[in-house]
Amino acid sequence: MPQLNPDPWFLILSLAWLTYILVLQPKILSNKSMNHPTNKNNEIIKTNPWTWPWP
Amino acid sequence: MNLTFFNQFTSPQIMGVPLIMLALLAPSAMFQTQNNRWLTNRLSLLQLWMINLFTKQLMSPISKTGHQWSVILTSLMIMLLMINLLGLLPYTFTPTTQLSMNMGLAIPMWLATVLTGLRNQPTASLGHLLPEGTPNLLTPILIIIETISLFIRPLALGVRLTANLTAGHLLIQLTSTATFALLPTMPTLSMLTMVVLLLLSILELAVAMIQAYVFVLLLSLYLQENT
Repeated sequence: MPQLNPDPWFLILSLAWLTYILVLQPKILSNKSMNHPTNKNNEIIKTNPWTWPWP
Repeated sequence: MNLTFFNQFTSPQIMGVPLIMLALLAPSAMFQTQNNRWLTNRLSLLQLWMINLFTKQLMSPISKTGHQWSVILTSLMIMLLMINLLGLLPYTFTPTTQLSMNMGLAIPMWLATVLTGLRNQPTASLGHLLPEGTPNLLTPILIIIETISLFIRPLALGVRLTANLTAGHLLIQLTSTATFALLPTMPTLSMLTMVVLLLLSILELAVAMIQAYVFVLLLSLYLQENT
């Protein structure tokens, strides 16, 4: 089984970690969301009904 | 040279130059870096929503201190997902079929969770080695068993991903070879084998996504125990 050949083990391991650290994490970090994460409010907001101005 | 079915898993190289770097960089091209615009396009927005949804769902059972692991786990998930999905294309090399990569990711991450637990809350972390409500007589045996299961975790994590993807790729190669081999002599059977191949491909699509998710989910579980 070629996966058990120890020759490229260190190369694959180090390159995988390097890609993970140097390429992928900055990509994920660039996804900045606009709002802070908050919990949902439990209060019910009362809305007053309004009449639509019909033409 | 005669090719066996296992030759698809050899690390690719052209005339001695290893191409593994290309195979590892290609999946990151699937996921775009966001720019600094206020209003982006639909694709960037979907990507942002997906990351937020995934991170929120993964991190909600974990304590506040464990939320420092958000970047680690989300980027790991995206990397494994993209590598697995790209590997489903014909004639592509999947780095996650290599034991070296999966063990190299699993062992340090698991060790990090264990060391975090032992450093910050040593009593609670060691207390996980004895489940609640065990009879007093079984205590020594159970501690030994739980320690063994603790040390098996990184092996299982790495080998699970490797074995699932290797087996899937092998099955696809076998059924497609069977389809081609049966085509001249028994075309009906060949068509039936092709139906099996199509179903198998759908299964492999699901397995690719699920295995990436399971890897990260288990890591988050080990983190949950230890923070």
